[in-house]
Amino acid sequence: MERFMLIVREDLKRIGRLTTKERFAEGPDMLGWVKSLADSGNYIGGEPLAVKGRYVTQNEVLSDGPFIEAKEGISGYDIILAENLEQAVAIAQSCPMVMTGFAIREVRPIQPFPSKTDEENT
Amino acid sequence: MDSVQQETDHIYKQHFGKMVACLLYSSRDIDPETAEDIVQDSFSAALTSWRSQGIPANPVAWMYKVCRNKALNIIKRNNRLEPFSDQAAGSMEIRFSDSALDDHQLKLLFACAHPDLSPKTQVVITLKYVLNLKVEAIAKVLGMSIDGVDKLLVRARQKIKTEKIILEEPRAHALKERLPTVHKIIYLTFNEGYKSSGGNEILREELCEEALLLNRELLDKNLGNKETSALHALMLFNSARLKSRFSESGELLDLENQDRSLWNQDLISLAHHFLTESQGETFSTYHLEAAIACLHCVADSFEQTDWKTIAGIYLRLLTDHPNPFVELNYAIALYYAGDKRTAFEILHALQRHAFLSRYYLLNMALGKFHYLEGDKAYARQFLNKAYLQTSAPKEKDFIQKMINKSEDF
Repeated sequence: MERFMLIVREDLKRIGRLTTKERFAEGPDMLGWVKSLADSGNYIGGEPLAVKGRYVTQNEVLSDGPFIEAKEGISGYDIILAENLEQAVAIAQSCPMVMTGFAIREVRPIQPFPSKTDEENT
Repeated sequence: MDSVQQETDHIYKQHFGKMVACLLYSSRDIDPETAEDIVQDSFSAALTSWRSQGIPANPVAWMYKVCRNKALNIIKRNNRLEPFSDQAAGSMEIRFSDSALDDHQLKLLFACAHPDLSPKTQVVITLKYVLNLKVEAIAKVLGMSIDGVDKLLVRARQKIKTEKIILEEPRAHALKERLPTVHKIIYLTFNEGYKSSGGNEILREELCEEALLLNRELLDKNLGNKETSALHALMLFNSARLKSRFSESGELLDLENQDRSLWNQDLISLAHHFLTESQGETFSTYHLEAAIACLHCVADSFEQTDWKTIAGIYLRLLTDHPNPFVELNYAIALYYAGDKRTAFEILHALQRHAFLSRYYLLNMALGKFHYLEGDKAYARQFLNKAYLQTSAPKEKDFIQKMINKSEDF
């Protein structure tokens, strides 16, 4: 099994206008989906992200970042286990937020660091 | 209801899924949607024909024959460019015999375990095509909306159609590769049946039975391994307690208040047999979960349960498969094992978890333990939360009873 990050992308500008309570009351219920993934041993963890953050660059210029204006900014993530990318995609597709068109998911395999044996082989 | 309607309803219930499965295996040119249409069509043909001409001597055989002919017509239509030989029709007939039906079921189960489908989809299509459940029933047992199941099925069918997934009968080596997924599907099917929330009791018990039967088939056909035996033990231990989970008036009872004399000792000793069989080099999560279920079944009372060992096994599960829901169970076992401080630490930490904080069982556990520690007002806060977090009437009643208890001084 490989690990994948399922990134939630949605309109941050809109979320930014909502209170925390409103934000979590409006979407589809995600608990059932998470529970079913936990039951099948595919769920590792996940959290929503707050809209406001800091953007850090080499010149130490701190800004609110592009987050707030981003149409499809990152608003949360889940880390799951799946057999392959195809299955990870199928899992992301079954997410209630995706099924109801509430948000989109970006599926990214987590890249393991090369192990000692990999280095020796190359 | 007239006798024709009764007869077709009966056959529908027993054979619909098998007929679809047979059609899927009879030809690569038939996808699940077409297969279902053919079977559906054949049933309406039966209704009309039997009403005017009477029910044939062997109605089931009649149905299979009509299905087969309709399928052949469709294949002929699709393969118009290639001449359709009688030989192909002959070989199809052989594969379409009644006796091989259960094998079809098993083959279809392995086909549903395709690694490119999500675990939920695997379970949904297994319930639909292997166990022959209707969409409404699937929605009920999985706690999904009918619309949600439909959407999942539509997506699965598209994928199956474009990638020819289900029509591929897995080859011998693939059977082995897919065995873990098949185990998972059987395990999840059993769990869905076992859950106390929502739906029709009888339907859910049947689901547990179906899961056991499928797993038994794997063992009987020598397709299984040590994990199959461990899974079998796990399901049997839990089945032994099925009847005691509700009181005579139908109320939900927790482990503490179950009448242990109702536990089925035959099933428990059978489970022991499979647990012994399962011993070997491999040590899967099914082994660990079966061990926990076993410790519950052999305990004379709730208090005498070996909570320390159970907590240890949960810790081991957590090390290999970190999962906040298992962590919750670990904390509960720790509490009863006497390590209350760690238990509360874990439970309160889980409250900060994005999803667990909305999970009624976490708030139930917190409510119950604070109640047992004597802080009734604090306990009520959690119980009230838990009450709002479940919609199953039996669970709501159960929580309400705890709230009432916490109000007595």
